[in-house]
Amino acid sequence: MTGVEVVADDLVEFRASLDTWLDANGAVLAPGYEGAGELDQQMDQLAKVKALLFDAGWGRAGWPERVGGLGGSTLTRAYLGEALAARDLVEPGLFSMTEVLAPTVIEYAAPALAASVVPALLRGDETWCQGFSEPDTGSNLAALACRAVRTDDGWRVTGEKLWTSLAQYADRCVLLVRTGTTESAHRGITALFVDMDSPGITVRPIGTMHGGAEFSELFLDDVVVPFSRTLGDEGAGWTVAMDLLPYERSTSLWHRAAFLHRRLQEALESAPPEALDPSRLGEVTELLYAFRARSRGTQHRMADGDRLGPETSIDKVLLATAEQAVFDLVADALAPEVTTGDDPRSRRWRSEYLYSRAASIYGGSAEIQRNIIARRLLDLGDDR
Amino acid sequence: MDPEDLVLFERSLGDAAGRATGSGLDAALDQLGWRDALADDPSAAVSLLFEQQGAAGTTSSALGLVLADALVGNAGPGTGTVLPAIGGCTPPGTVVAGRLRVRGLAPAGLVDQPSALVVASSGADLAAVTVPTASLGLRAIGGVDPELGLLEVTGDVDRTRPARAVSPATWAAAVALARLAVAHELVGASRAMLGLACDHARGRLQFGRPIASFQAVRHRLAETQVAISTAEAMLDAAWLDTTPERSAMAKAVAGRQARTTARHCQQVLAGMGFTVEHPFHRYVRRSLVLDALLGTAASLTTSLGAELIDRRQLPPLLPL
Ligand SMILES: Cc1cc2nc3c(=O)[nH]c(=O)nc-3n(C[C@H](O)[C@H](O)[C@H](O)COP(=O)(O)OP(=O)(O)OC[C@H]3O[C@@H](n4cnc5c(N)ncnc54)[C@H](O)[C@@H]3O)c2cc1C
Repeated sequence: MTGVEVVADDLVEFRASLDTWLDANGAVLAPGYEGAGELDQQMDQLAKVKALLFDAGWGRAGWPERVGGLGGSTLTRAYLGEALAARDLVEPGLFSMTEVLAPTVIEYAAPALAASVVPALLRGDETWCQGFSEPDTGSNLAALACRAVRTDDGWRVTGEKLWTSLAQYADRCVLLVRTGTTESAHRGITALFVDMDSPGITVRPIGTMHGGAEFSELFLDDVVVPFSRTLGDEGAGWTVAMDLLPYERSTSLWHRAAFLHRRLQEALESAPPEALDPSRLGEVTELLYAFRARSRGTQHRMADGDRLGPETSIDKVLLATAEQAVFDLVADALAPEVTTGDDPRSRRWRSEYLYSRAASIYGGSAEIQRNIIARRLLDLGDDR
Repeated sequence: MDPEDLVLFERSLGDAAGRATGSGLDAALDQLGWRDALADDPSAAVSLLFEQQGAAGTTSSALGLVLADALVGNAGPGTGTVLPAIGGCTPPGTVVAGRLRVRGLAPAGLVDQPSALVVASSGADLAAVTVPTASLGLRAIGGVDPELGLLEVTGDVDRTRPARAVSPATWAAAVALARLAVAHELVGASRAMLGLACDHARGRLQFGRPIASFQAVRHRLAETQVAISTAEAMLDAAWLDTTPERSAMAKAVAGRQARTTARHCQQVLAGMGFTVEHPFHRYVRRSLVLDALLGTAASLTTSLGAELIDRRQLPPLLPL
């Protein structure tokens, strides 16, 4: 791979030189499979691309130097994911997991820990997962039950997590546990950074509706976690989680918008003209453009150092609305492929259509986002 | 404008647009130097004024100035502008056999102006013609929103004065700017509706609790907040680089979200909001006309879709 100087503090230059590099190295970067591929293949492709990007410097741009980054603007990270999605080089949801988890560890882990683990995530040598939800605790995260007690050797964790994306591949997990009483609700939660090969952890992959087993059930049985692996303070897990969620709605959504643009463009190119209704296509295009316009503002606020908060719930609502509108249109415009096609491309359309149904569920459901908007942005008071 | 000036300018505009309407607001805009601001910093001048105007439910001749400025530069005092007829952006004039036929709209302020600027098509060519206002027929439009004070402009006059050629691109750019202005006014009106509905929801008790505590009500208002933020984001994007396509999309989204806002807020305000004693109905009326002015959301969206199918290419991606 040829070296191109990575300029991380000038977006225009970064964009131009990254595009040149991606185009020059297209053959090495390209996936070795057709269509979406299997999850295992997607994970291998992700690791390959991340390593190439990291070694050439692109994958370090916009990340702090103390965790192996090159510094510079976070806008470069937004553009990197956009450029990869636009070329279909990685599955955007898998790629963006870094954007969700790394900022939290950078902010809340002890500096030495962050410095040792974050580069491995950035380079794709490691996979991390997010263990928040539990069988009885989806939307009502504050009621989580997975328990950690203090012992001489550190925390001892026992409980269960559900829908943990990529847990079966993961080396580490950002885990929310209960350290206070059950009644302490959000005040009694602590965040831990757990090695997935710790004794006592069992992972059971679960098939998802869109194919493959993107997430798992996670059983923790008396798992020892050193105190040095506490993210933030004991009892401050809620803050850690609330700080993480806006990240889930910033850079990664910009990546997703680029992916949706690519798919809508492909549908527009391949659908028979009579299968496209102008007013519907126009509206979906506007919606997608609006989602991107909204997310652009968020990327710039983040790059300017603003703290992201509940206003990112609007971005998440728009993602879910736009993604489902794009794939609803696809399901009609490419009905034969989505319903009865068995070639790799049809399977990809089908899988992505089905995955779009989850956009209003994961990362806080559409209803939970509206609850946040009502309480935090419109100041409508309590809902009881 | 630097940030401090901007804040001051915004405050004065807000005061003016909240206090005065029609010729009163026109006079205030003159005094504030809004027209110079339009030339210096169109995005600030347009967004600030039209959003305030939309929020206050007032009106002015500013939309005509936006169009004129983009077409011919400062047309000078004493000249008003004829806008396209409701529902589209067809130039209001047509020249046939040396006569100028006019069918369009104008802000109420046109009656005070001795002359009127009319963009007219003659075959494939466009030209800006200035005619004496007295030679045109002006009728005050009642319609759904009489307070808007729109005039219907008709005419069939000798084309005595010289015309200035206008390129189709110039006309498209002028319409693009005017559409952004109307979109900002729709956003202002929508914010006002949402404010009324939220205040009402917090204060109105039913079943012993504020109706704001009912999730069905909260979600309608949250949905409205999302809709308005969407239109705002589209406008921010359109100002980065105002192409006709981006502007049409922003206007379409603003029109659609205003109709959504009106629907949800009406439901929350319920009977109270259905009386003419409550200000809400004025915004409902205003947004219906503003949506139709220079093209409804529905028609703009359909033509966008038809264009995309034709060229098989989405609009260029908005860059970071
Ligand atoms: C593809 C996918 C990947 C995921 N990845 C992860 C992951 O990596 N890590 C992780 O921790 N979790 C993950 N999740 C779990 C996800 O966060 C939860 O599914 C989500 O929070 C919703 O919880 P639930 O499914 O239990 O639904 P529930 O909370 O039971 O909700 C069911 C329905 O009731 C509605 N509802 C619930 N409470 C309210 C309320 N107060 N007001 C109005 N409506 C309400 C919900 O909106 C929803 O429509 C993933 C989920 C999916 C689908």
